[in-house]
Amino acid sequence: MTTAEKPTLAKVPQEEAKQEVEREFTIKARSQREQIMRRFVRNKQAMGGLLLFAIILLVAWIGPLFYPFGFNELDGTARSVPPGSNGHILGTEGLGRDLLAQIMRGIQRSTLIILIAVALSLVVGMTVGLLAGYYGKWVDNVLMRLVDLILTLPTLVVLIVVASNFTQARTAIGIAIILGAFGWLDLSRILRSQILGLREREFIEAAHALGASDRRVMFKHLIPNMLGSIIVWATLAAATTILLEASLTYLGFGVANDTSLGKLVSDGVSAAQTRPWLFYFPGIMLLVIALCINLIGDGIRDAFDPSNKRVRA
Amino acid sequence: MFFFTIRRLISSVVVLLASSMLVFALAVASFDPLAPYRTRQPAPSPEFFASLRTQLHLDQPFFVRYFTWLGGVLTGDFGQSNGQTPVGPILMQRLGVTARMVVAAMILAVLLAIIVGVLTAVRQYKPEDYFFTFITYVLIALPTFWFAALLKEFVAIQFNQVVGKTVLYTVGEQSAGINLYGTSSEIFYDRLGHLVLPTISLAMLSFAAWSRFQRASMLDVLGSDYIRLARAKGLRRGNVLVRHGLRNALIPLTTIVALNVGLIMGGAVITETVFVWHGMGEYLLMSIQRSDLYPLLGWMMVAAFFIITFNLIADLLYAVLDPRIRLT
Repeated sequence: MTTAEKPTLAKVPQEEAKQEVEREFTIKARSQREQIMRRFVRNKQAMGGLLLFAIILLVAWIGPLFYPFGFNELDGTARSVPPGSNGHILGTEGLGRDLLAQIMRGIQRSTLIILIAVALSLVVGMTVGLLAGYYGKWVDNVLMRLVDLILTLPTLVVLIVVASNFTQARTAIGIAIILGAFGWLDLSRILRSQILGLREREFIEAAHALGASDRRVMFKHLIPNMLGSIIVWATLAAATTILLEASLTYLGFGVANDTSLGKLVSDGVSAAQTRPWLFYFPGIMLLVIALCINLIGDGIRDAFDPSNKRVRA
Repeated sequence: MFFFTIRRLISSVVVLLASSMLVFALAVASFDPLAPYRTRQPAPSPEFFASLRTQLHLDQPFFVRYFTWLGGVLTGDFGQSNGQTPVGPILMQRLGVTARMVVAAMILAVLLAIIVGVLTAVRQYKPEDYFFTFITYVLIALPTFWFAALLKEFVAIQFNQVVGKTVLYTVGEQSAGINLYGTSSEIFYDRLGHLVLPTISLAMLSFAAWSRFQRASMLDVLGSDYIRLARAKGLRRGNVLVRHGLRNALIPLTTIVALNVGLIMGGAVITETVFVWHGMGEYLLMSIQRSDLYPLLGWMMVAAFFIITFNLIADLLYAVLDPRIRLT
């Protein structure tokens, strides 16, 4: 075992330690975080997903610096050319814009959508979940009934109706805000039910007894204890967000005056027969990204909770 | 069980009423039914707007409008669209079209999910498990409309070429005008041919997630003590798997299926758009484009009704399947 540089479990006095040299293995103390990291790193699918995702992101952000075509550059001499012609690696679309450059730009914008939408959902979902779970009583009742009510409508349809109000906000950022505004519902439910369990535990009672304020209990005790579920939720929500954005855009209520992966995929659908490269490349890219994120998310969940290898519902 | 049913029924009705309020608020805040007339050239006279406002109840306060509308809905009158046609009959006719797809897709998805879920659980970490796990991961990561387009543009055309005639249709829910000349069996097969691809693409969306769920719940059950006991008593493996294992492992799936009805209705909007069905989805998108208030309200009420009903059914089924629930 290569544990020389790490401390051993018990700090035994020198003499006793000498006696223990005979032992053929050493026990190593690992913090909770180290254990989780180790379990994640050993998960081949998750690490594969992470690696692939990192490569994709790297190419999407650094690639355009070296690529001769800009994402909005119209190449009048090469409209709708198939992959490989005139130096367009993945071909061009009807206006002569390079598909690879567009995909790279699309990934950039889609990453932005994911970040904004998930961050917004996290803030709202955590606030609602904490308030409902921690204060209970009427706060809980009001907030959770509200969540129940919103969930009696198909989420996609609510998004469409809301998005139809903001015809001028059809950019990546605008759509991200709309997606984030309705993405927190399940998170708040998950956190609330976790807090209901945590609230009764001794360490929370002890914190209260020591005079900790509500805010301190929430931020120092409750949130750190739920970090696992929050991270897992955020990862899986990232995959949902990118797919939802694509669907919204396809129906005509998503990104319009901007590039995003979803926009490219939905534009490509009408060209499936005539210019298949416009159909396949963005679609497969979206699939690969969503797949990678899901693999990472499942890996994180298994790392946090190895005893209970649940699958996503 | 009787009181449990009554209690759940009453609370569902209350939720439905509250939901109707939310629907109304959302729609009224989003839509200006007069919008299409405002941009008309020449501009309609102020009297025209005034009469339209009265006709659409726009001049009344929110709650008066809400209760007028709700009263109408309760008596089966869903109001009128901008084109002055009643919403109710159109909604019902389109619901019938969409229901074909949704019901078929749900049945297909549930059956496949159970089969694949049980198979992958029983053969955990075997090649079959890895194969189906891979498939489900890919399906979960696919945009619905892209997958539907893939089926439509490639599978259907190849298949029809192999068979030599059009069996799988890619546009519409039935051939145009077939009601006029077709016999009932012709209409049936025509509709079936139109139904196959949309059903598959809609079903795959839920099937993937459900089969993962079913796999987990089956694994849970298979690891439990009563399964070991049943095997130890000498019961046959197949018998144990189905009567002791599957029966219990199906309980959690009922909840998930019910909770995902909203997801399927959203998915149906997308699938209908890809396959150009004239169903609920098209009606929804049309009414939003025209800022048509009452069709949208009707649509959302129907959706809320089905989602709440499915939740109720799941609750009741759960209580039937797992008697412990009734006590709480």
